[in-house]
Amino acid sequence: MKAVFIHFDQAHKDDVIRILDKYMVHGFTLWDNTQGRGTRNGEPHYGSHAWPSLNNSIMTVVENDMVSKLKTALKELDEISPMLGLRVFVLNVEDVY
Amino acid sequence: MKIYESAVRKPIMTALVFVGVIILGLFSLRNLPVDLMPDIDMNVLMVVTTYQGASAADIETNVTRPLENVLNTVPNLKELTSFSRENRSIVMLHFEFGKDLDELTNDVRDKLNLVQAMLPDAAEDPVIMKFSADMIPVIMLSATADKSIPALYRILDDNVANRLARIEGVGAASIAGAPQREIHVYVDPIKMEAHRLTVEVLAQKIGAENLNVPAGSMDIGNETFSLRVQGEFTDPNQINNIIVGSFAGKPIYLSDVATVVDGFEERAQENYTNGVQGAMIVVQKQSGANTVEIANEVMKALPEIQKNLPPDVKLEVINDTSDNIKKTIAGLEETVLLAFLFVMIVVLFFLGRWRASIIIILTIPVSLIASFIYLYATGGSLNVISLSSLSIAIGMVVDDAIVVLENITTHIERGSRPKSAAVHATNEVSLSIVASTLTLIAVFFPLTLVTGFAGILFKELGWIVTIIMTTSLICAMTLIPMMSAHMLRLDRNPTKLTLKIYGPIQRFLDKLDILYAQLVNWTVRNRAKTLILTTLFFFASLVPMITVGTEFFPASDGGFISARVELPIGTQMEITKDLAMKLTNKWKEENPEIEMISFNVGQASSFNIFGSLQASGSNIFSANIRMVELNKRSVSVYELIEKIQKELDVLPEVAKYNVSTGQGGMMMGGQSQLAIEIYGYDFKETDRIARELQTRLDNNIPGLSNTQVSREEYVPEYQVDFDRDKLALHGLNIATASIFLKNRINGLIASLYREDGEEYMVRISYDPRYRQSLADVENILIYNNQGQAIRIKDVGTVVERFTPPTIERKDRQRVVTVSATISGTTMDKAVAAIQGEIDKIDIPSEIIVDIGGAYEDQQETFADLGLLFIIIVLLVYIVMASQFESLTYPFIIMFSVPFGISGVVLIMWLTGGTLNLMSFIGLIMLVGIVVKNGIVLVDYINLNRERGMGIIRAVVAGGRSRLRPVLMTTATTIFGMLPLALSQSEGSEMWRPMALTVIGGLTVSTILTLLVVPVFYSLAAAIGVRRQSKKMAKKFAPENQQAMSY
Repeated sequence: MKAVFIHFDQAHKDDVIRILDKYMVHGFTLWDNTQGRGTRNGEPHYGSHAWPSLNNSIMTVVENDMVSKLKTALKELDEISPMLGLRVFVLNVEDVY
Repeated sequence: MKIYESAVRKPIMTALVFVGVIILGLFSLRNLPVDLMPDIDMNVLMVVTTYQGASAADIETNVTRPLENVLNTVPNLKELTSFSRENRSIVMLHFEFGKDLDELTNDVRDKLNLVQAMLPDAAEDPVIMKFSADMIPVIMLSATADKSIPALYRILDDNVANRLARIEGVGAASIAGAPQREIHVYVDPIKMEAHRLTVEVLAQKIGAENLNVPAGSMDIGNETFSLRVQGEFTDPNQINNIIVGSFAGKPIYLSDVATVVDGFEERAQENYTNGVQGAMIVVQKQSGANTVEIANEVMKALPEIQKNLPPDVKLEVINDTSDNIKKTIAGLEETVLLAFLFVMIVVLFFLGRWRASIIIILTIPVSLIASFIYLYATGGSLNVISLSSLSIAIGMVVDDAIVVLENITTHIERGSRPKSAAVHATNEVSLSIVASTLTLIAVFFPLTLVTGFAGILFKELGWIVTIIMTTSLICAMTLIPMMSAHMLRLDRNPTKLTLKIYGPIQRFLDKLDILYAQLVNWTVRNRAKTLILTTLFFFASLVPMITVGTEFFPASDGGFISARVELPIGTQMEITKDLAMKLTNKWKEENPEIEMISFNVGQASSFNIFGSLQASGSNIFSANIRMVELNKRSVSVYELIEKIQKELDVLPEVAKYNVSTGQGGMMMGGQSQLAIEIYGYDFKETDRIARELQTRLDNNIPGLSNTQVSREEYVPEYQVDFDRDKLALHGLNIATASIFLKNRINGLIASLYREDGEEYMVRISYDPRYRQSLADVENILIYNNQGQAIRIKDVGTVVERFTPPTIERKDRQRVVTVSATISGTTMDKAVAAIQGEIDKIDIPSEIIVDIGGAYEDQQETFADLGLLFIIIVLLVYIVMASQFESLTYPFIIMFSVPFGISGVVLIMWLTGGTLNLMSFIGLIMLVGIVVKNGIVLVDYINLNRERGMGIIRAVVAGGRSRLRPVLMTTATTIFGMLPLALSQSEGSEMWRPMALTVIGGLTVSTILTLLVVPVFYSLAAAIGVRRQSKKMAKKFAPENQQAMSY
């Protein structure tokens, strides 16, 4: 079991959810209007006058073999429009009930 | 959910809401009446009081003054003028514009009730009369005839006037210049005297013979019959056979002492059209009716009417006021369409993409159509104001849409899907488009609150632009994102055709961006130089101001001239007619621009409603001249007026004339009239000053024409002075004597002759041969109760006297007005010159000389507008300050306004225009329009700084990135106004100054804003940064830190 933590420009929301649907990932948690900026050249997403864009964050917990499929699909999506920004972080999950 | 989000999510609802608005708007448009101006409530009431037998001076003291004293307290009164003439006092009350006249009438009536007791007993009750624009005739027709002249009045009355009066909305159709039939009984005073008969006896006898008497009813057999005597004349000749008396047992027939003439009323007005005699039919509308509709109906009815007329009677239109309206409106409609086209081209030029351009252009019709709903709901009409408002707004409605679309495109280019790009991009700019729309509304909404003359003109403008701008904002926040989400695509590989057409434009615009960036880079690094140069430019641009004149309202060319020419008082009608004939023929021959010329001459009968309102008399002729259409002639109406005036100037027999554009009267179009008012009680002194001023104006000031003194000259007339003692001796009194006199000269209506259901008057008077000299008057016989005959010369004398003129008063003081028309100079120069001449005249201290007329209106209105200008500048500042949450930035942006003024002065200087009401309004609009550029610029520079750029980099990058949107919105506004400025159609004179003002001001201001605002911004920002760091330094200074950390 792995937790996949996805942060992306809110313009990607519909596409990200479509990808999750495609891989039959049923459960996730979505945070709306999250803020942040990228490490290298990501534009800040602050929802302010200067930086008006905002992020969404999704956390989903999937089986191990699903992780690479998801990662590839999301990477593909990010590469279509690198200016918007999308990052995936994979974490270990100790336990679920 | 935000409004733009739901709009994108629910495209069907959004689209259908707008379709609904369009349907409603088109429905409203179909039902909107067409008119020249918005409905204007007239603001004048007239109180007329008759006091028989009182002289002008008596009327002034006993009637006019008490009335004035009381009426002066009526609320909302602006000006009080009065005319006191023999037998009659007329008090005119001018109110503020835009007040309810019915309410004012009630106020006046209340005040009159108070004063009634103070008026002389013999004076009749004061009557209130309303003045209205409805008195201006809608259509004037001329009917020329040849053989039918004798019966013309009846023919026209039956077939034309009655038929036209039945048309809905027509108030009155009156006939002028066609003499009415009248049966004259001309008596021979010598024969009458021989038979001891009087005019009165004859009248009685005729009346007694011309009777139908019902004699009751009788039963014959089983039936009841009524019995009557049909004694009325069936032929005027029967009057000859009436027995009027007997002499030596033989009857005296009327034909023995008089002749019966079946003819026309004497002293009637005659009318000539293009030299052919005929009549004039004047159609007036009911108050509130629509001129164009009535005119259309009348025109539709004319062919049918013509069919029923005898073949020699020809109907022709002299003046159709709706014609001017229709042409003006058609011209404006063309202007609106052209503006639409120009804006489309500008949008395409800058965007270079079909889909994007279509989305933006769609906002134009939607926003404009919304204003039709407003017009329909408030009972408005398609008029000069509402259509020009549309034309003004066209260039501005696309601004918000452009900003939104541009941002959506940026988002799509960054990789967003159109749908989410539409929502987020709109969200980003929503605040700034609301703010920039608010600045425009801050300019136009206050226009709806203006009172007075300007208020009438600009109320509708204010409302329409406010509504259009609001709709365009709603469009930009709903329709534009919705359509962008569904129509915009990321176009990475443009087709070859697009590249070929748009490639050069794209390269040009790119080059412009780079050039501008370099320029800004230089200016912000050479701030002092830039500021000195622009300041120099600003002051240099104000220099031509000396040559730019001011006027009140631009004169317009309606192609219609009305001329009233007066010969010396007492000139016979025949002589006046000959001169009129000669002059009009000459004018017509010499000026091919004249399409038709008609004139009428003589005293109007009291039955003629229209004629009785105008000055008429045997010595006056009034001509109406219609010129061919504006684009088919090179001579303007003013040039022709001047030519005619010059011709009249050299004619010795012309005593007084007035040639003007007889349209609209008091407010629209026409040349400006200056009135110099001389207040003072003493007739002689004021007369002297008025005459002197008149000669000085004529001789010393070029560019003034048609100078006139309002106080008429003393009128010569014959008066019969009866000697009361002698009258008493013969058992007579003045009343009896004067009635005898009147019956013989003016005539006595004996009876009415009926034929075919029409009634004609039978008038008995002395034969014209016996009323041609003073001796004839002196020889008139008066019979007293004892039957004795006394000649007038035995009881009185006939003397020639001069009657004093009408006493005019304004604001409760006697006044004489010297008026002059401005042609060939501007108002401010004329006023300065006149003031100089006034100073040279020796004026006693109790006499006050004031310059009024259009100058007074101009001063008042300009003062109002000046105040409005300040209020609007403050409002715009407030809106900007709240948007930027700063007091400095709006101040920087406001620097575009003075450069706007530079532009206005320059364009006025180049085009030879003047500063008038319309250009002033243009200037006010300019405040809202020019600051928009500054807002866009400063907003983006701020953004760059927040993103962490240094001041200079932020300014240069911001300028470069905003150049295109600024140029684009400016270009749409300028090109939207261009048709208004270039239009040659009727009525275009009115809006040209305003459009020119906006174009000139916006062009210069945009160029300079683009250079100066970055400089000021960098200056202010540098000061701000320095202050901030000082504050910080203080805060974190060692001693403070200690204090902070306890």
